[in-house]
Amino acid sequence: MKQQKILFVIVSILAFTNGFAQKNMPAEKEKYSPLRQLTIDPAIGIHTNFGTDLLLSTLVQWNPQKHLSFASHSSFNINNIAQRNFNGIKTDYNYSINQKFGVGTTFYTKRSSNTFLLMAGVKYTSFKESLINPDNNKVSASVNAFSPDYGLMYDFRKGGKKYFFSFRMYVPLYPWPVKNVDISAADGNMNNIALEFGVGIKIK
Amino acid sequence: MKNENFLVRKLFATTSAIMLLFLLGSCKKEVFSPGTTNEFTLQSVDNGTSYNIKVGLPADYNPAAEKYATVYVLDGEEIFDIVANKCKEISDKDGVKNVLVVSIGYGQNRSIDYTPTKVSELTGGGPQFLNFIEKQLIPKIEQDYSADTTRASRVILGHSYGGLFGGYAFAVNNKVFGNYIMLSPSFWFDNLVTLQMEKDNRPVNENQHQLVFMGIGEAENLGRMQAPFESFYQSLQDNYPNIKLAKNIEKDLDHMGSRNPNIEKGLNYYFENR
Repeated sequence: MKQQKILFVIVSILAFTNGFAQKNMPAEKEKYSPLRQLTIDPAIGIHTNFGTDLLLSTLVQWNPQKHLSFASHSSFNINNIAQRNFNGIKTDYNYSINQKFGVGTTFYTKRSSNTFLLMAGVKYTSFKESLINPDNNKVSASVNAFSPDYGLMYDFRKGGKKYFFSFRMYVPLYPWPVKNVDISAADGNMNNIALEFGVGIKIK
Repeated sequence: MKNENFLVRKLFATTSAIMLLFLLGSCKKEVFSPGTTNEFTLQSVDNGTSYNIKVGLPADYNPAAEKYATVYVLDGEEIFDIVANKCKEISDKDGVKNVLVVSIGYGQNRSIDYTPTKVSELTGGGPQFLNFIEKQLIPKIEQDYSADTTRASRVILGHSYGGLFGGYAFAVNNKVFGNYIMLSPSFWFDNLVTLQMEKDNRPVNENQHQLVFMGIGEAENLGRMQAPFESFYQSLQDNYPNIKLAKNIEKDLDHMGSRNPNIEKGLNYYFENR
């Protein structure tokens, strides 16, 4: 298992580094590509767990070279937003905050760009439930926990040089296979795939 | 452009290969040694359904000289192999006698069999299913195999609706099983009816000797799992003086992800404290 993890990290780094090696493109192509060195891209999104989580996020992306991308992704998620009272169980609060940093590469077409990022960071989850049915004991349960957050992000952008629309998808690689290689743990990954839509601004 | 396409293809191929490597490693299904597993079907008198039953025998099964405890596994078609292998692993490691593992396969829809009350067409068969286990399955197992016939030697293990059924059996017919492994139990079902059943039957059950292990995933945050789980746990802790009780919250794992780690911890707790 340890060897698999090491292999995963090494091959991922090699794959992404390979992408950076290609720095130049023909001058004719260069003038059409929406090159952006520094962008900020707020977005709104959902998780794939039946779309019950509301995500508010921002991606700051810095491309010091054409094919080299660094990114910071911050997200505040209001979880299970539509159902706060169920069968005598009240959700007092339920949110998570994610902060990830990533490195990757960007490919360009005439008016769009595609960025692939390997992300790593931390996630803080906090929620509390209480029984409100008077027939039951007054019991509350809460979770306040930090967990690692690894994954792959794909970011598609289309638009002008200053403003652009974006769609991004984040596929977590935690808890499967990092914490647990058992495929049943992938349920946690599947439920936390994020789909986000936003409007971005080129700063530089 | 040609070079870029090449790089994109290379990147996708490498990433796909890595993902595939992990996926193949993870998908390997556990199989309990078929040489020590017997299989038969048993039809319920109450609901007419035939259930596929598997019995995993200890490697050194010796019916002439030994009586064995029995673990009844709900959702047996999903988790029988995992449970049987873990029992073997733990008993080998601790040098203690292994158990008979009885898998109860799906007869009708699991949501019918495992739920205690009828709130829709697909719920409410729990009483008939518990009757089937008590009146038909257990007598057959204890007649055909060298199973210990005392309550204290019977375990029921279930996950999700299966865990709910374990809680229901604990509350309404506590004389059948002496040990309960309830994993991510769906106690939210029908306005927490199982919590009420536990409360109503407490005077009958509270002085019984029993072992209960409760497990859940820390990431089960859908607003229905954690508070009822905690309420049931606290009720047992506060009101049952003769209980051996433990709970485990599996860090960072959700409803399905926490199932197998909690099976292992529940069985460990049972083997160490039975």
